[in-house]
Amino acid sequence: MDVELAKPFIKAAVDVLSTMAFVKPQVGKPYVKKNTVAAGDVSGLVGITGERNGSVSLSFSKGCAVAIVKNMLGDEIDDIMQDVKDAVGELTNMISGQARAGLAERGYVFQGSTPTVIMGDGHTISHMAKTPIMAIPFTTPDGHFTIEFCFE
Amino acid sequence: MATLDDFRSKEFLDQIMILNEISGNKDSGDLPGLIDLLKTPVGDTSIDYMVVNALNAVLSSNEATVIKGLSDPHPGLRTLCIRVAGEHGFRNAAGPLAEIAAAETDPDQLMEVLNALARIAAPSATPVFRAHLDHEDPFIKSACIEALGRLQDEASIDSFKAMLVESEAPDRYETCDITTWKAVEALSSFQRDDTIGFLVEKLHHKNPTVRRIITDALTAMGKPTVPLLLQAFETGDTDTRILAANVLGFVRDRAGADGLVAAFDKGQADDANVRYAMYEALGRIGTMKGIICLVDGLHETDELILMAVVGGLERHVNPGMISTMTAMVAKADDQSDRLAKAVIATRATTLFDALYENAGAGDALMDALVQSRDPEIIDAFRAVLADIGGSRAEEDMLRLPQVDITTRQALAADDSRSMCAMHRAILTDLGFEPSLASNGEEAYDHIEQGIQFEVIITDMNMPVMDGMELVGKVRNTPGYEDVPIIMVTTESEASQQSLASKAGVTAFVTKPFKPETLKAKILEVTGG
Repeated sequence: MDVELAKPFIKAAVDVLSTMAFVKPQVGKPYVKKNTVAAGDVSGLVGITGERNGSVSLSFSKGCAVAIVKNMLGDEIDDIMQDVKDAVGELTNMISGQARAGLAERGYVFQGSTPTVIMGDGHTISHMAKTPIMAIPFTTPDGHFTIEFCFE
Repeated sequence: MATLDDFRSKEFLDQIMILNEISGNKDSGDLPGLIDLLKTPVGDTSIDYMVVNALNAVLSSNEATVIKGLSDPHPGLRTLCIRVAGEHGFRNAAGPLAEIAAAETDPDQLMEVLNALARIAAPSATPVFRAHLDHEDPFIKSACIEALGRLQDEASIDSFKAMLVESEAPDRYETCDITTWKAVEALSSFQRDDTIGFLVEKLHHKNPTVRRIITDALTAMGKPTVPLLLQAFETGDTDTRILAANVLGFVRDRAGADGLVAAFDKGQADDANVRYAMYEALGRIGTMKGIICLVDGLHETDELILMAVVGGLERHVNPGMISTMTAMVAKADDQSDRLAKAVIATRATTLFDALYENAGAGDALMDALVQSRDPEIIDAFRAVLADIGGSRAEEDMLRLPQVDITTRQALAADDSRSMCAMHRAILTDLGFEPSLASNGEEAYDHIEQGIQFEVIITDMNMPVMDGMELVGKVRNTPGYEDVPIIMVTTESEASQQSLASKAGVTAFVTKPFKPETLKAKILEVTGG
């Protein structure tokens, strides 16, 4: 079931980033994380409840996040920090929504929380779980990002 | 009825109401109309989405139509039928789905079919999953491992074992693939001696994450693992014995404690690290035999082992043990000093409370306590003395030293309570104020709070975040590029130490060690 749940999130991430930010990410090899900590420069985090409970995070490197914002907003960037925060929150929300819709079509009903965005170079966030956490790395021409799943 | 007549020309709200009604009624008569709407959508995203939902609802009670739809030329209907067959567990769809899987080349579509088959869980589908066990897409491979595990397919056990063996290859062991995780999970779903035995054999996997997954899997399986863990204990090398004893402690089964006690009698506890792990496990399990064995352990002379013994007894205080211990602590010889120090260093307040009743034992404990330079320990026992009350306790409280607030900070991370207590004692002795953590993540929290540590001591294998990861993170933290890090470990494998050196460890201390050895190493690396 773990991989069945993860797939729609991967598809949604690729779809949303291609459509909204004209970035076509390449999916890397999934792995089990050594720890419960997600590391990145900008992260979006959503709590998921329903069939199973857990959290999903998207952690972007600075280069990747800035490139996405530039692609989304063009030259209209006023305050890069604020815009990156908004954009990552918005993307996380869209990805979570689209993935949950995909899961609902398979009969798995989940609710998602409002995304939280965490910023700070090399910050870490903790998933609260005793089960292994699956991480899926993505690469884009402007940097990398990682999606992490943690379900009870 | 015939609610779908002229649907496309209806108002948006009417369309929603009609589709809602169909979803509720699940009337097969609506099928042709709905299929037409799916194949030629109205173009409004929400209505089209509702059409899919309504169709799903109606199809849920029309198995024959779903099976027919699996070979429909329209890809949307095909996918929908695959999902409906899976969601509602249509057994008769298993055959046609297996045929589709055999011919499917698109990985996304194949994943849909395999997921549906996995949800139907028909044993007839096992060959399909087996056929894709070597698929290059890790998600497809993992889905097949999950499904075969759930179907309890014994013919796949050897494949799962092979995956775990391959995961230790020199070019692969540094990451834990999701397929390795799934293989361990699948193997642990068979409650068979050979699968349990294999997992026990792999307890010392080269990758720390896999080791943790195996440890958790064996712990979750519980009782059936005990005989095999004990067997591994009997025949394995030192590392295997330590890991087996740890898992036996986590499983907390009476038979595990009995086996460990028997191992003591058979002379299988000669190695100090093994003995340490055995005492910790016995402390966790807490059977009568185990406690008697721990009481025997009070004669140990190694400080660290004695702390594991005292730490274990602290959890199961009983009058018999207290009378033995009282006599030993009150004896005023070398061993009574060691015991008193161990009670103080492990902060065994329950034992202290019970032993203090005897004036001789109380004096020995107080002598050890006043030598402590650790403000937290002194505060903890001050509170115990306050609770005990009476003139003797009040006088003893006056003897407690006022510890100066030191400014030299040190950090120690270890998942063993006794090891943490040991680090605390060593560091305070050297005049450091210690911050302690039971895993790498907690340790890093201390660093993030902005405390500047002069030295860091860490274990290698810990839950949540291991020592290696901690060292990597610390080295990437501004201001921590050169702070000395000492790794304390029982790892005998050279590969692990070289990984740790690469991550940025300054020095290693191998367990077991005398407190003086670690002290000397700390002084060496801090230049103090």
